[in-house]
Amino acid sequence: MSFVVRQIALKSSGEEIVRRAVVESDVLVIGRDGSSGIHLADLAVDPRHARIRAIDADRLLIESIGVQPFTVNGRSATSSELEIATGAELGFGGHRITLAREAESGLPAFTVRRIEAVSESAEAIDIGSAYTLQKLMPGKRLSAWGFAALVLLAFLAVPIWSWATYQPLALHKDARRPAGIHGDAAWSSGTLSLAHKNLGGDCQACHIQPFVAVRDNACMTCHKEDAHQHIADGARLLKARGEPTGFAGFQRAVASAFNKPAGRCVDCHTEHEGAGAMPATQQQFCTTCHDGLKTRLPDTKIADAADFGTAHPRFRPMLVAGIDGKGKPWFQRAVWQEGMKESTGLKFTHAQHLSKMNGIAQMVRRRPGEFAAGDALNCADCHQTDSGGARFKPVEMEKACQSCHSLTFDEIGGTFRTLHHGQPDQVVADLRAAFRGGMPPRPASLSGMARRIPGAAAQQSTAADYARAVHFYPMQADEAVAQVFSKGGLCYDCHTIGRARNGEGSAATAGFTVQKPVQNGRYYSKGWFDHKDHRKAECVTCHVKAATSNDADAVLVPGIDGAGGCRSCHVGEGGAKLASAHVKEPVASGCAMCHEYHMDSGAPWKPANKRKGPALRTAAWDRPRHPPIVR
Amino acid sequence: MATTPAPAPAPRRRTGATRERQSTHEGFLVHRNGKWIKISAALAGALILLYILVPLPPHHFGSSWLGYTLGTLGALLILWLTALGMRKRAITPGRWSLKGWTSAHVWLGVLLIVIGTLHSGFAFGWNVHTLAWTLMMIVIISGIFGVTAYATLPRALSANRYDAEGAITEKQMVEALRSLDRQLHDAAQPLDPECARLVGRSLEQDPFTGSIVNRLTGRYPGDATREAAGELRRLRAHRPRRADDPLDKVDALLTRKEAMLARLRRHLRIKGWLQAWLYVHVPMTFALIAALSAHVVSVFFYW
Repeated sequence: MSFVVRQIALKSSGEEIVRRAVVESDVLVIGRDGSSGIHLADLAVDPRHARIRAIDADRLLIESIGVQPFTVNGRSATSSELEIATGAELGFGGHRITLAREAESGLPAFTVRRIEAVSESAEAIDIGSAYTLQKLMPGKRLSAWGFAALVLLAFLAVPIWSWATYQPLALHKDARRPAGIHGDAAWSSGTLSLAHKNLGGDCQACHIQPFVAVRDNACMTCHKEDAHQHIADGARLLKARGEPTGFAGFQRAVASAFNKPAGRCVDCHTEHEGAGAMPATQQQFCTTCHDGLKTRLPDTKIADAADFGTAHPRFRPMLVAGIDGKGKPWFQRAVWQEGMKESTGLKFTHAQHLSKMNGIAQMVRRRPGEFAAGDALNCADCHQTDSGGARFKPVEMEKACQSCHSLTFDEIGGTFRTLHHGQPDQVVADLRAAFRGGMPPRPASLSGMARRIPGAAAQQSTAADYARAVHFYPMQADEAVAQVFSKGGLCYDCHTIGRARNGEGSAATAGFTVQKPVQNGRYYSKGWFDHKDHRKAECVTCHVKAATSNDADAVLVPGIDGAGGCRSCHVGEGGAKLASAHVKEPVASGCAMCHEYHMDSGAPWKPANKRKGPALRTAAWDRPRHPPIVR
Repeated sequence: MATTPAPAPAPRRRTGATRERQSTHEGFLVHRNGKWIKISAALAGALILLYILVPLPPHHFGSSWLGYTLGTLGALLILWLTALGMRKRAITPGRWSLKGWTSAHVWLGVLLIVIGTLHSGFAFGWNVHTLAWTLMMIVIISGIFGVTAYATLPRALSANRYDAEGAITEKQMVEALRSLDRQLHDAAQPLDPECARLVGRSLEQDPFTGSIVNRLTGRYPGDATREAAGELRRLRAHRPRRADDPLDKVDALLTRKEAMLARLRRHLRIKGWLQAWLYVHVPMTFALIAALSAHVVSVFFYW
């Protein structure tokens, strides 16, 4: 059997060179080995890969010598019959062998052709791009447009879509966006304050119209009740602030040009500054208007104020000025000064009661366990703070005084009878009842059995004398009543007692009048003072006269200056103080520390949930209900 | 140059002077005696002082006058910096030379860190405003990386190309590999199937293979050439020595191919780093401009 083997090689020009050989053998070996009938210089081919032998004149059998397969007409095989007439295409590594019958000789001919380069590096390589990252990375242009489109979609298109879909909810107090994608949340420059937390992702609660800065109507949707008084007249507020000049004027002009008018709520009440309580208002926000306010608003009744340490008006406590005809107190404000007095209608000796070396102190020592301190009376024995701790409850006679100043006047069978405090007519009646038994002795001549001067005249004369005696007998009851209301008496010791004149008073009180006592619950109603915040200090640190004053009418509340005055500790927000003030431990104090700003009467700038109890302002004595009379 | 007579050999000096040529070249970083670095440093100092000294509300710095000024300045600067992409395609000399422009691009770009961050007032959150700042920082940091790469890597690139026989070009690297592959192919013909398969795998491997990670780290685990060399050595260790063992030649050729591949891949790694930063710098710039637009529109939309 003979086979024709045609080896085809390529010139560098692409031209084909054909080497024809005739192999005389029964078996034709295909392999890398040089002795093979079909020699393939191909490392993917075994040295003796496959062999071919004739089955008959028309058919050949090809089978692997080892285990390595080859391909026949594109399919992997280790053994296959080949029809010479039909021909076949064999694949060995990078070589292709085509079988056909050679026309001239009629022999089966194998045309061998290398179809793969010797190595990968021998393939065409584009030097221009191979050394760059072009094939390894997405193109710069593509990713640039891709990222830009993505950002614009997520952070511009979606937020505007969110705004547009929820637009009808604006300016409705209780309207809230339904859950879903709120794209404009990505525009928020910071978390809302706690007060506005419940607005959640509802941007349109405030940002109503696009490209229009937040206006007051958005705020007033909810804050109809509690917006502070400053808002009542916006024009006046702006006037108080004064016309900005210089650079500030330029800023105002630019802001107006960009549709940001001045005088809106949000000028001061800035938002998106983190989830905390609204911060204490800075002094600057107040002093912008209140420093030199009179020059800009000549008709204002408010005194100019700036830094607490240096430029605060003197305090004007609200004092009890007297009692009107109906027994109600009237108040008036006056500039605080040393030795001020008010009309309490009481007598009380603070100094005597607080002394550590008199009878009162001795009495305290004899009753251990009943008083706050064992050696003398203490402020707290009589003065109790209210439930909030900010201020003091009025002193009650029954709780504070009566354990010493007993109103007992009689003892019957071991039970004590006590006068009714606060009811003078009852006191008079009780005393009269107690002494009702007192009568002049009846003359013997008036009794039926006794001997007497004969004749009716003498008897009549005696009877008349006796009747006059009974009538004019100085009764013990009246004596007791007079005594109790007079100097040295139980009532007189503490109360201001009057004598009826011009028909005042009544027979029921034997002509005595007791002035209704008034206890001033809050001296400074325009500022906020909290005793709780000062509980570490001794009372006399501020109420310096308490230990020396024996006059209940003396005003013991401190003023801004002087001994015990607020400026003893409190300095301005920036630490400024007057040269005359001697401050040991300065407490920086901005306006908002004491001054209330909003329409409710809670402590200034404290968030609503931190305010303690409504008791602070429910007591009737808390605030004067009468309009102050200004002298 | 060829006509210039060779200068007389200079007397040998013992000054410790290197063979390196003294360059009169002034790089873009120090263009005109560091004009732009000085301008940028002065501006940065002035802006930081302004930020510290001007009394402004503690919050919402971005909406104070200085905040708006810095924001406007920053936005315009970003657009101008981006324009380098157009400007660099027109090389002009003189006062507004491309080199001067590039110098300004680099140093004003660094200044943008100060402008953008002061504009933020150090208030960051999960929002479009901080997104814009973050993208800006990514662009600037990638730019700084690029400048550093341009300043240091070309030296390494040159060093890699030189050896005892002189410099080798990129084209020559490929040619050298092709030649080695041809020789390997021929030398491996007598090998048994197992060894031939190993060599064949080395030949079939694309010298430019590998992902971006392989390219930038220069590490190609499971490299076919190295594996072939190692495996052949292992196989040969258990065979009797022969004078004309074809494996000797294959082994020598594989070793040379390995060395050439290593050099090619070092080259690719350095070139990769020279280019990679731009794949961050440029797309992020456009993302930044998009975020910046969203930032500006959002501020005025919810004014």
